[in-house]
Amino acid sequence: MRNRDLIQYLTYGTVCLIIFLVPVFVQDAFLLNKTARYLVLGILAISLSLSWGYTGILNLGQATSFGLGSYCMAMALKLRTIPVHTGAEGLPDFMVWNNVEKLPWFWEPFYSMPFAIAAGVAVPALIAAGLGWFMFRGRVTGVYVAIITLAFLVVVNLLFIDQQRFTGGFNGITDLAQLDIGSFTFDAYGASSYYLIAICLTFCLFFALLVTKSKAGLILQAIRDHENRVRYFGYDVARYKIFAVAVSAAIAGMAGMLYTIVMEFASPTFMGVQLSLSVVIWCAVGGRQSLLGSMLGAILVAGMQGALSESETFLDTWTLVMGLVFVLVVLFLPKGLAGAAETLKDRIFRKFGRSSKAMAKSPGEATPRPAASRPT
Amino acid sequence: MSLVVTGLSIASILLLVALGLAIIYGVTGVINLAHGELVMIGAYCAWALQSFFGIGLLASLPLIFLATALLGWIIDRVVIRHLYNRPLDTILATWGIGVMAQQAVRLLAGGELRYVEMPEAMNHPVSVLGVEIPIFRIFILGLAVALFGLTWFLIFRTSLGLKLRAITQSREIASCFGINSNRIYGLTFAYGAGLAGLAGAVVSPLKSVAPEMGTTYVVDAFMVVVLGGVESLVGSVASAFIIGQSSSAVAFYANDTIAKALVLLFIVILIRFRPQGLFAAKVRS
Repeated sequence: MRNRDLIQYLTYGTVCLIIFLVPVFVQDAFLLNKTARYLVLGILAISLSLSWGYTGILNLGQATSFGLGSYCMAMALKLRTIPVHTGAEGLPDFMVWNNVEKLPWFWEPFYSMPFAIAAGVAVPALIAAGLGWFMFRGRVTGVYVAIITLAFLVVVNLLFIDQQRFTGGFNGITDLAQLDIGSFTFDAYGASSYYLIAICLTFCLFFALLVTKSKAGLILQAIRDHENRVRYFGYDVARYKIFAVAVSAAIAGMAGMLYTIVMEFASPTFMGVQLSLSVVIWCAVGGRQSLLGSMLGAILVAGMQGALSESETFLDTWTLVMGLVFVLVVLFLPKGLAGAAETLKDRIFRKFGRSSKAMAKSPGEATPRPAASRPT
Repeated sequence: MSLVVTGLSIASILLLVALGLAIIYGVTGVINLAHGELVMIGAYCAWALQSFFGIGLLASLPLIFLATALLGWIIDRVVIRHLYNRPLDTILATWGIGVMAQQAVRLLAGGELRYVEMPEAMNHPVSVLGVEIPIFRIFILGLAVALFGLTWFLIFRTSLGLKLRAITQSREIASCFGINSNRIYGLTFAYGAGLAGLAGAVVSPLKSVAPEMGTTYVVDAFMVVVLGGVESLVGSVASAFIIGQSSSAVAFYANDTIAKALVLLFIVILIRFRPQGLFAAKVRS
């Protein structure tokens, strides 16, 4: 293992460790729930970083996957509340209101929690792979990918709002049971859900990191930097891109499921244009070419947004400030905060590295290697 | 018959909103996600001029055009100018600008819905081919056609337009011939923004004016531009017509939401097979 990789693994591990230690210091249930929500958004940002930062596919519809995952979990949790709300043989309450006679066939399998969890990952991945197949086989690139994914998001969102009988329409699916596996119940406001999310976050972060370090991951980065060159080498570029969006969608779907668990509802806003573009902001601010940067960007921006929108003084001006910060980041820090940190780190290392290496080696070898200066 | 007229009405509004976007996108390659917010600002200008200064909608149109054009020019000089070589980043930056514009309007004018009064003379319907339509809808159609004509004239019959077309083909070579591409880009952006403002002003009596109104317009306008072909003005007209008519036809058989979803899906499929749009301008390469 190279030295650089080791440092990266250690940094990632330390951040995860800090996340695991939070409940020791935060006892307030409400605050813990809020932190857990930001962590889920962090997972969502990781998923976009994988497709945008590492593969160069600007997916403006990342929230589609998030929303689908969220609805899968919500359907399963909704079915568990039926005995409480409308009697053992009944339907979910909103179906009763909408005069649905019989549980629709696609709701049936969600009585099984393992199926729901599998669906929450597989459905977004399959849909993303299908859309990816459709786009990348036709060599659609750049701006057109952004427009297609955005349009697709709007379509899915409109359909979910329109099919009120099956999806709860504008309100989404509310009044959910808490997730229980075996005899253990995950309380949305307790440490149990927090740890569940922290474990999933750590898993996703390292899984994504391993993907980027694998051969496929390296090819993905090569595609980002120069697609045609990779094609001329004989690689099937479309297949690698489909792989990237599918993995990214699976992670986003998982984030969606977790979001339903902590929020205790699913809403069409989870697959709205607003959220979808917010993810892009988080990644851009944190640094889209760093998984950790994107994740921290999400936690930072969403966390600040949460904190400031609750305080009286910044209630109105916060969005204005956020827009400004975002424009400045795009203009001056194209690689986000992670990119800025990297540059800073290199500068410091170069300073020390030069003096120590110059003494040990001949002057010719002392020139510092251009670390982290990836072409963009 | 009434289906066709409804479709024509949708199409004329779409064309008005999309025209400015098409020009900016076609000439500079900038994806202006703040376009919807410029439309929204135009609508708010109409409301402000009417309720504070008592200026009627029709009289305020030139003022609104100038105001939004100036705003567009400022946006271009301060932000977009630096991003002409990074087209994907323009999506992000303009979205940030849109967020700021939305919130600024909310702070200045309040978050509640606003209403703009329809001009007195246009508030009654006329019968066209057996269908009752408000005169105002016809006025919008006329304005859309007139602005399209003006734009066409500017691009194909003036020296400014000649320079603009030269830059669109090759910025470097045009610069070698002494064309100040920076200035032309700024003017294009300003003109496109002005058109967006006008669009917002004329739709303001038809719909309630709110800070969030821009978001819906920008997605629709993009679809028009992409469907029509980026560098083709005629394409924008044709695609606005196609989208307007198909929306109204599908809405007749299903409902508005399904109509919109189906039209969007159709466009997604179309981009896949013809990324250059239906009516791409033929450019020698």
